[in-house]
Amino acid sequence: MLKIKKTKLNEFIDFLNRDYSVYAPVEHGKKTTFKKIETALEIDHSAYNTSKSAKEVFFPQAEVMFKYSKEGLKVPERNEKPFAIWAIRNCDAKSLKMLDSVFGDARQHPGKDYFKDPYWKQKYDNCLVFNLACNEPLSTCFCHWFDGNPFDKTGSDVFVVETADHYIMEDISDKGKKFIDSYDKAEKADDNDVKVIDELKATAESYLGDKIDTKPLFDKLKKIWDEPVWDEVSAKCINCGACTFVCPTCHCFDVDDEGKDGKGSRIRLWDSCMFQLFTKEASGHNPRGVAVQRVRQRIMHKYNYFRDNYQVDLCTGCGRCVSVCPVNLDIREVIKKVLEY
Amino acid sequence: MINELRSQVKKLLEDKTVDIVIGYGKGSLPNTATPIFITKPEDADQLIFDNTCRNNLTVYLTKDRKKLKKDYKKIGIVSKGCDARSVVLYTVENQIKREQAHIIGVPCNGVFEKKKIQTITEGKEVIDIKVEGDEVTLKGRAFEKKVPLKEVLSDSCIYCRYPDAKEYDTFIGEPRVEVEVAEEFKVVTDFEDKTAEERWKYIEEEYSKCIRCYACRNVCPSCYCNECFVDQNDPQWIGKTPEVTDSVIFHLIRNLHIAGRCVDCGSCVTACPVDLDLRIMNKKVEKEVKERFNYTAGLDINEKPAMVSFCENEKQDFIM
Amino acid sequence: MCNNTYIPIPMKVEKILSENPDGSLRTFDLSFVNEEDKFDYMPGQFCEFSILGKGESPFGIASSPTEEGILKFTVNRTGSVTNEIHYLNVGDIVGIRGPLGNWYPLEKLKGKDVVIIGGGFAFTTLRSMLIYMLENRKDYGDITVIYGARNPDLLIYKEELAEWDKRDDLTLHLTIDTPVEGWAKHTGFVPTITKEVSPDPSAWAIVCGPPIMIKFTLPVLKELGFDDTRIYTSLERRMKCGIGKCGRCGIGSKYVCIDGPVFSFEELKSIPDAF
Repeated sequence: MLKIKKTKLNEFIDFLNRDYSVYAPVEHGKKTTFKKIETALEIDHSAYNTSKSAKEVFFPQAEVMFKYSKEGLKVPERNEKPFAIWAIRNCDAKSLKMLDSVFGDARQHPGKDYFKDPYWKQKYDNCLVFNLACNEPLSTCFCHWFDGNPFDKTGSDVFVVETADHYIMEDISDKGKKFIDSYDKAEKADDNDVKVIDELKATAESYLGDKIDTKPLFDKLKKIWDEPVWDEVSAKCINCGACTFVCPTCHCFDVDDEGKDGKGSRIRLWDSCMFQLFTKEASGHNPRGVAVQRVRQRIMHKYNYFRDNYQVDLCTGCGRCVSVCPVNLDIREVIKKVLEY
Repeated sequence: MINELRSQVKKLLEDKTVDIVIGYGKGSLPNTATPIFITKPEDADQLIFDNTCRNNLTVYLTKDRKKLKKDYKKIGIVSKGCDARSVVLYTVENQIKREQAHIIGVPCNGVFEKKKIQTITEGKEVIDIKVEGDEVTLKGRAFEKKVPLKEVLSDSCIYCRYPDAKEYDTFIGEPRVEVEVAEEFKVVTDFEDKTAEERWKYIEEEYSKCIRCYACRNVCPSCYCNECFVDQNDPQWIGKTPEVTDSVIFHLIRNLHIAGRCVDCGSCVTACPVDLDLRIMNKKVEKEVKERFNYTAGLDINEKPAMVSFCENEKQDFIM
Repeated sequence: MCNNTYIPIPMKVEKILSENPDGSLRTFDLSFVNEEDKFDYMPGQFCEFSILGKGESPFGIASSPTEEGILKFTVNRTGSVTNEIHYLNVGDIVGIRGPLGNWYPLEKLKGKDVVIIGGGFAFTTLRSMLIYMLENRKDYGDITVIYGARNPDLLIYKEELAEWDKRDDLTLHLTIDTPVEGWAKHTGFVPTITKEVSPDPSAWAIVCGPPIMIKFTLPVLKELGFDDTRIYTSLERRMKCGIGKCGRCGIGSKYVCIDGPVFSFEELKSIPDAF
């Protein structure tokens, strides 16, 4: 374990910047989101969590897949440096792993390049994840419902804890170790630092709300697919896409062409199962035309369908959907209702 | 007040004056209310009404929610001044029959604007809010702050002239008819005083944050088109990317669509997950309609909406 | 970078055939522009048909792998992409991505009797399979085809239907919903005709058509004694990526694009919202 003084973070980020494109929380119009940075001065550490998740670094809301013109098709070239992501919370770091199981490989055709997503891979493969421990979880946080913890290290290459005047760094992966070892300006962390981390962790955990056992959710959902509980659960949903767009794990997308006169781009865009248009077919037929079907789809995908395919729930309990929902449709309440039903 | 609201609702449900009541219940987060639907008289005790009741509940009468209109003959709706105006809007726009809605007016002192609170606490989470007269106490894990109530209320409420329902079937207490508001359109006039470049820069910067989640549109009681223009793809009117040009077009067209129809309930402002300043342009079109046609949405149930009526003496300078 | 599945390959429009008088159904024969782009496929698979500037739409491949060098698609004009496809001329270059999805259980069908039941313009991949089986005729037992449409105009591949009708190594039952003057074949809905024809339940059934047809044909087959494991269908959803990423074609935990589009009814039984 190493540590660097907070005041020396700029040196560290400069060093990181040499071999990586560095992304970190940056303030953008009163909200904090992940953006590419050049110096540590741009980083905004004040936010408990970013308003949008870190998925947009690797899977942007709109991404040009190729440009077309009379000369043919051209895939945009990308900056050669691998990505590094600084100060990502564990809920997001874990979500990247989940997204990687979808985009980085293929469920039905494991290992086959044809089914891998090149746009995701070129950004996520070889990226370095600096997971910043969550010293102060919010009332919306529920990572502990899904095997998480504010100090969980899964999904990180380097685990970082912010103390009063230091960042203490622990290498988790080989990649992380290699990088940390190459930085010679860090101090060694000592026993006292370990003690401080334990204290911070205990405090953070004390902020979390009640824990719910979500293990029975999978079977329960399978059983109640047809039950009227969904009408009750979805009654207040207004079917906007806010929850899915801020979600670190939602990954459904649309493909759309933009351009005119034979010149333009094919773009992929985040889409939302909350939108009526998501499943509407050209014939007018819509397999999920009613609001209740769409709310059910979102819950089922997260806590049943995804687990069926990838043995994990598609939710890290980051709580963003809870905090942005305009009608306070709290997914935790839905989970409780389903479990009690 | 709250006891009277609950007992009135109970009575309305018991004597079958209404089949369902849309109201506010306690939300899952600190200082949050959430829409609830009550059909059993005994559930009326779940109702709350305070400064956290920010949603305009009339949105459940339209959109995907037309089901509610079909399933229940008579719908009671807990209404602040703005909600009641939306019911009037629906009536004059033939979205509902006036008798289908039973407006339960409640005296409104304005609703909290979460975003203002967050600015005051510098992003720190507020766990409890206490209101005492004109003062509120914001309490967090390690802080306590007293501020004037006005500082944490939504702008829509601070500049609201009709806090209480003018059109109602039941009122809890005594409704105020109209309150004096100084500089109702201050947000607009301040903006108009800027240069065109400054205005455009502001609009561009604000709307560049838009993530096109359509929360603003979906919480808006005035946005009830079966198919929104942004969703049409044959022809596709505007791009679907969060590029600022597309987002600006989306918001500005929405502004025009709700011209003379927006009741300034502020729902879109609170709903926006990325804090867009949506009110300026809403208020701008409201001001234009008022100046040109002397019309304010949702006030008079017998008046034809501004955009569907024509008077010979109207200003016609927009026709080149 | 690994190979990019999202990039369509260029194909040239070789032939366009209008399938019905009002021109709403057209069949396009496409040829590979570049030799190295050529791909193998199986009956039942689909491709994303790309019109630059408009987007992509998924279509089942109507040609059989035995028809070398071409890909055949029959396109119903409904939305903006299909509209644009209908404007294509011979010689135009279009983009194709594929082959995508799984295929009919041809291995399992070997040595078995096969009943093909189709409705309307969903006969595309059924044509692919039928031609494939006829080319490898000795591998299969009796082949029965029941194919219906609202009226004679809406039956596709009319010339081939006439040829198949003449063959003695397959039985063809054509039907239309309501009587039309001059129509000498069956009249009635596909489920009714299936009951009339009453194929032997030891056969394997492949059913493709509008959801309503499938919904009413299934009980008929079950009544006749067909087992769920021996009834197959191909599902349609709004596939966009075609490789199991975009989530648009999800039904339960399956994605139509990679787990399908071909499913047995045994599989579909456990999926809540397949129909």
